[in-house]
Amino acid sequence: MATPVVDNPGALGLPHPVPPRRRAPRTSLKVRNALVGWTFVLPNFAGFAVLTLIPVLLLFYYSLTSWNIFGNADWVGLENYQRLVGDRSFHIALGNTFYYAAFHIPLTIAASLGLALLLNQKLRGAAFFRTVAFFPYVTSIVAVAVVWNMLFSPEFGPINQFIGMFVGGELPGWTVSKDWAMPAVIIVGTWRYMGYYMLLFLAGLQTVPTELHEAARIDGAGVWQRFWNVTLPCLRPTMFLVTVMVTIESFKVFDLILVMTEGGPGQATLVLSQYIWQKGFEQFELGYASSVAVVLFLICIGVTVVQFLYNKRRDA
Amino acid sequence: MNRKIITTMGAAAAASLVLAGCGGGDSPSEAEEPEGPVTISLAGWDFASTPEFETLATAYEDQNPDVTVELKEYPAGEEYDTALTADLAAGTAPDVFIVKNLKNYVTFQEGGTLLDISDVAAELDPATGGLEPMAVDGATYAVPYRQDSWLLYYNKELFDQAGVDHPDGSWTWDDYADAAAELTEGIGEKDVTGAYLHGWQSTVQGFALAQTPGASLDGGDFSFLAPYYERQLAMQDEGSQPTYATVTTNELAYQSQFGTQKAAMTVMGSWYIGTLVAEQASGDADEFEWGLAPAPQFDESTTGTDNTPVTFGDPTTMGINAGIDEAKIATAKDFLTFAAGPDGAAALAEIGITPALIDETVADTVFGLEGVPQDDLSRFAYTTHETLPENPVGPNTSAIQTILGDLHSAVMSESESVDDAIADAQERVANEVG
Repeated sequence: MATPVVDNPGALGLPHPVPPRRRAPRTSLKVRNALVGWTFVLPNFAGFAVLTLIPVLLLFYYSLTSWNIFGNADWVGLENYQRLVGDRSFHIALGNTFYYAAFHIPLTIAASLGLALLLNQKLRGAAFFRTVAFFPYVTSIVAVAVVWNMLFSPEFGPINQFIGMFVGGELPGWTVSKDWAMPAVIIVGTWRYMGYYMLLFLAGLQTVPTELHEAARIDGAGVWQRFWNVTLPCLRPTMFLVTVMVTIESFKVFDLILVMTEGGPGQATLVLSQYIWQKGFEQFELGYASSVAVVLFLICIGVTVVQFLYNKRRDA
Repeated sequence: MNRKIITTMGAAAAASLVLAGCGGGDSPSEAEEPEGPVTISLAGWDFASTPEFETLATAYEDQNPDVTVELKEYPAGEEYDTALTADLAAGTAPDVFIVKNLKNYVTFQEGGTLLDISDVAAELDPATGGLEPMAVDGATYAVPYRQDSWLLYYNKELFDQAGVDHPDGSWTWDDYADAAAELTEGIGEKDVTGAYLHGWQSTVQGFALAQTPGASLDGGDFSFLAPYYERQLAMQDEGSQPTYATVTTNELAYQSQFGTQKAAMTVMGSWYIGTLVAEQASGDADEFEWGLAPAPQFDESTTGTDNTPVTFGDPTTMGINAGIDEAKIATAKDFLTFAAGPDGAAALAEIGITPALIDETVADTVFGLEGVPQDDLSRFAYTTHETLPENPVGPNTSAIQTILGDLHSAVMSESESVDDAIADAQERVANEVG
């Protein structure tokens, strides 16, 4: 990396004595290089440290206190965690979070991969449809929730009117039914995020060598065999990235649920992030909310580590 | 550049620590009269659409030329409490602030952020709405300057069209339900219902809690909610009001349902008077004759214009930051006495806001506005009521309201039976609160 010329009076045509050329010791050059490097990293790191790293470290500390935002954070040891064991709402939130993740992860991967394969073909208007598929991801979440809530409206919504043409009997209550609220949220979550992951898969598909496909075709492999034995193995790095990202995103789901159902009806769609928010920012039990956040953090880390280990073993 | 940023951040952090240090000090209860000009700061939200703070500040400054009331804007909605709480914890909050949600009052008070202003409370008119429930262990830490009460709004023209008698102040909730059914049938138009019930939990629970004898939020027994829910469910089942499912999924707005004559009556807070008048003037709402009536009552013991009907509504209150500069305490208290007193009430009434103290001047101002109904029952409904808080002051109010909010969505969406949901809520309160 070039360092700027600090001082060169000669360039201005001024006479100047030639200074004796001093050779900086190697160590000081090293220090200087390191400092230069740090100055480049610092703006980003400072933001990360102040807004993410320190709060996360404090989180662990606060989860062991009874802090209510005012006054001192009194040390209570593992009391908050003991309370979690018997807290039924926490159990419900935990169960709902896994319910959401268990369906949202495979559905999103399947839908986004399917879309990517489809739009990777040399179709007319492929670019247009790629944009269309990406649109939900950049649309305001509130607008998304309002429109989908209307579509899901049990009495007047187009979805139930459509289903009603084929099926008789009682139709799903969607967002206002305990049993159907979570499926409704999962559908919208999948629809919203599939465009984004489709882009990642599309990028991955560009790295699949065409020669492999041609060779397979000459060997008589069908479409399905080529997908299974050529495309998928070549997509493994992308698949891994997408899986990790969808997983973390699923466990952290918050805004979509807050604007669509507010966790209801009852507690049918209450998830961990919302429970943290409820306890921390509605009831000001920041100590207890921190302990829930620690649990969520551990779940995310745990699942990601398992995925990394699995991926590594497959690589080996 | 980086150093500059870091220096600035360091300075800000140091400043907040210094200020926090000020905030942590013992708050003096006695203060001397200030000499010379004084500036006090006041926290409010969304000044563009909430003119009440500026109105109070200007009115007070006119009376006290030596004092400047500096406004500090916070975000509106739920974020107000979050942002203000952060500033209070950091010791950077303004001298006087609004306690917007009564359910967080105890959190602020127990957190030592509010100055004891029992002396201000003692000076106020005892008729000030919502003043009495603000006492915590005999001391008052915030005083109400504004209090909306819930009333019945009805469309006179739709009542006449359906041939149903106008409300006369004698209605219990059963009379209300009967009238809604008659209206729906009498009007006989698709998409027009006799009544409209908004989706908020307070529309059912606020009345049940205020009106049912012996009902309490922290008693652990919520059976008092059952008759109120059963009545509303029956009304939505027979079609005399839109179902909760429709209200929530289609994001129905009470302003458009009543304002564009999709419903012949609705219960709503008194803030809607100003909104409806403005919307009729601007054309957002239809032109039609409407009136106010007391909210329907639990039983006949509180009905009739010779009685005081019981309704609900949380006061909006103002308190003094415990970390305020000692020299400013007297001025801040004087400002509170003004804001919660008759002069503040008159200033608020002029911009269409219902003050906590409703006297004849206030009523004359409100009913002098163009578009406000002039009949006797409307004036009676506006001026005469016992308004009990939706969120009674208590350490567990916020947690209990969260649980009752879940009950509301489960029951009104008919995901759970009334009795099951009540049993479930009682179990949760026993398990999670306390």
